[in-house]
Amino acid sequence: MDDMADDFDGAALVAAARQHDESAAREIVRRLYPLVVRLVRSHRPRRTAEEDLCQMIFAKVFQKLSQFSGKVPLEHWVSRIAVNTCINQIQAERARPEFREADLSDEEIAVINNLAATSEELGPDRSFAARDLVEHLLAALKPAERLVIDLLYLQQRSVAEIQALTGWGASLVKVRAFRARQKMKQQLDRFTAEGSR
Amino acid sequence: MKDSDLQRLLRAAAETVSDQPDEMPFGFETRVVTDWHAGLARDFVDVGRLLRRVVLLSLAVIALASAGTYHELRQSDDPDDSNDDEYAIVDSAIGSALEP
Repeated sequence: MDDMADDFDGAALVAAARQHDESAAREIVRRLYPLVVRLVRSHRPRRTAEEDLCQMIFAKVFQKLSQFSGKVPLEHWVSRIAVNTCINQIQAERARPEFREADLSDEEIAVINNLAATSEELGPDRSFAARDLVEHLLAALKPAERLVIDLLYLQQRSVAEIQALTGWGASLVKVRAFRARQKMKQQLDRFTAEGSR
Repeated sequence: MKDSDLQRLLRAAAETVSDQPDEMPFGFETRVVTDWHAGLARDFVDVGRLLRRVVLLSLAVIALASAGTYHELRQSDDPDDSNDDEYAIVDSAIGSALEP
């Protein structure tokens, strides 16, 4: 969203698209695709292909174009449609696999041991294993929790930015992040317990 | 596992930059715009169908109402039975008034 061009006049493009201006519609897709694809990736769909989900989102955007009032920036309006579409789609998939310690790689287990052994920051050589481990932990969360962890910690966005993207209140963002962290910690504890047996 | 441990894990994970490009797949915007046009055409056809149904229903109601009105007019034009009831009422009223 930050890298969206400043001269992007969303309201003018929407007005033109409402008059069935094809070039305006193409411009909307071109401008907003990076935002939409990043949100789709934040949700980590399992069965639905990333591209299909993006297409589904744009179909909804154009279907609801007449409802765009211009009171919020077009990017925020589109991102809310994207978030809701992803959550609905991923809830429909009902795929929240349970991972066991045996499913983790040696590097991921080393990261867990490192976290338990010291309070120092993980070294850069552990970053990719840490990412893989986080992906495993995220896969077991609800779609909204996955999104909030991705935006808040992996993309390092502020609560205000997440509010703008999702339309959720600040307290809801914090509560969801808290619940998600609790679940991730419980899962990490399970991995640690399984590893010590 | 403490909250600070998880925070460290998340900080380390955030250092890896996603290698997936944000570029649009080839032909994506064309597919979206084609879908949009197809949707608009579908909406237009749906509105046309609805309009046709409304017109047909209105015509049926007008025809029924016209038939009813015509039937009523025919009945009121019939000279034989138009004033019979009124005469009977007046006759009965006069009769009852003249009775001692």
